[in-house]
Amino acid sequence: MSTRTTTKLEGVTFRALITLVFAFLLLPVLIVVLTSFTQQNFPAIPQEGVSLKWYQELLADQRLLNALTVSLIVSTVSAILSAIIGTIAAIGFVRGEFPYKEQISTVMLLPMIISPVITGIALVRYFSTIQLPSGFPALILGHTVLSLPYVFLLVRSELLTYDRDLERASRVLGADPATTFRHVTGPIISPAILAGAFIAFVVSFGEFTATQFLISPGTSTVPVVIYTMLRTGLTPTINALSVVLIVVMLVLALSSRKLSST
Amino acid sequence: MSVQRGGLGRVTHIIGEGLEGRIANRHLALFGLGFVGLFFVLPILLLIPESLNLGSTTPFESYRRVANGIYVDAFVRSFLYGFVTTVVTLALAYMLSYFLAFSTERVRTAMILIIVPLWIAYIVRYFGILLFLSPAGPLADLTGFETDLLFTTPAVIIGLANVYLPFAVLPIYNSLNAIDEELVNASRVLGAGKWRTITKVIFPLSLPGLVAAGLIVFILAAGSFLGPAVLGGPNQTMIANVIAQAFLDNFNIQFASALAIVYTVLLVGLLLVFNTLFDLQEVLGNI
Repeated sequence: MSTRTTTKLEGVTFRALITLVFAFLLLPVLIVVLTSFTQQNFPAIPQEGVSLKWYQELLADQRLLNALTVSLIVSTVSAILSAIIGTIAAIGFVRGEFPYKEQISTVMLLPMIISPVITGIALVRYFSTIQLPSGFPALILGHTVLSLPYVFLLVRSELLTYDRDLERASRVLGADPATTFRHVTGPIISPAILAGAFIAFVVSFGEFTATQFLISPGTSTVPVVIYTMLRTGLTPTINALSVVLIVVMLVLALSSRKLSST
Repeated sequence: MSVQRGGLGRVTHIIGEGLEGRIANRHLALFGLGFVGLFFVLPILLLIPESLNLGSTTPFESYRRVANGIYVDAFVRSFLYGFVTTVVTLALAYMLSYFLAFSTERVRTAMILIIVPLWIAYIVRYFGILLFLSPAGPLADLTGFETDLLFTTPAVIIGLANVYLPFAVLPIYNSLNAIDEELVNASRVLGAGKWRTITKVIFPLSLPGLVAAGLIVFILAAGSFLGPAVLGGPNQTMIANVIAQAFLDNFNIQFASALAIVYTVLLVGLLLVFNTLFDLQEVLGNI
């Protein structure tokens, strides 16, 4: 065999392997979406035709709609809070001068490093000590803490590449600090803040492990409901609910990506 | 500055003032730290007195229980599954990263396809794998081919590797991408074959990214709750499941805290050992 054919063979094998790895990564999500359109009573790949009856089922189920509402409220409020707090912290860490700045800033990232089970039990215990009610207050505060590192990282990296001469120019030309922030700094970093808020929403919307400790009866979120349903048996309603979750998360994540790349 | 200034004006004014002076910036950082400290660090630290249960007649009781066989098994399993998952994930991630870094076609699309799963809830992705492996699932229904992998150790490893794969690709891809193409060309010009170039030039230069990726995957996988909960059986219980069970089923916060603390101490200990082999600061700089 000539070296040329060996290289070609190697190339083909490598390509086949890469295709397999991509299949491994993506097929599980694809199969969830595909089997949500089944006409049968269990998640099957539709062969004779598609049906939306499991989505209708979803719309008729008060418990699932309630979970969707709870998830939307918790994720929206916690995303706004974590965008505000994350931005303030990012400005402080980029612009402030104090010893061990880098080392201290890792504290801001701790919520994404500690196992969410530990976070969950620690928060639920703490919230009962400070008498914060379970349900919405606990969920919103917990999700704010969990999504904060993502906003912090995004806004911080935006501020690090930001040209401070623009601000100096504004000041030299006579604008006060407030006007400078409103017309120069704000507009430049606001796409990053919004991108951070969207990512915070995505993190919150999909969070399960810590959330299972923070819910109260009546404030189950979508991931918690999916998990509970999985334990009782497979029905395509789980698929329909998962697809709704996927669509919401992807739309927001893609918007976030668009915002942070412009 | 006028008193009548409206809400938004006031907020931007405060932020503007904040952007001005150094002391105020420090205060902004302090505000963020305070929030994380009050609602994250402090709650975690409070698990320590909780686990010791000093006021009771039997302090340290929880720690004696941790040394029990079934709990030791859960610890061993967590670190073992974490390790195996890391090895599997790194192998797959290296292939993907190599493809992304050195292939010329459709790299943007491929990158998006790798990142998209990161934005989809873990629970949905584990559900997809459950469907795949389920003996009565869609795959078995369509092809007649059944696996009996569900609720076994391989199922859990497959799930963990699937879910954490994108996390591993990013750092490896970055380190491969940073390799000076001239070095690869030089190796080829000087007569090294393709494999020799990979093993002697490309691989050593990508090692920092590989180590960073391994670290992330190991920490995430060892602490996973959903992987074993959805895809494993009673013999695949990992530490996160034991902690959750102690808290949710047995309402034993002291014992759950003790497990959490022992786990965190062991994990940090492992990281310190790791730190003597690789410089942790440098590794984290690669993420």
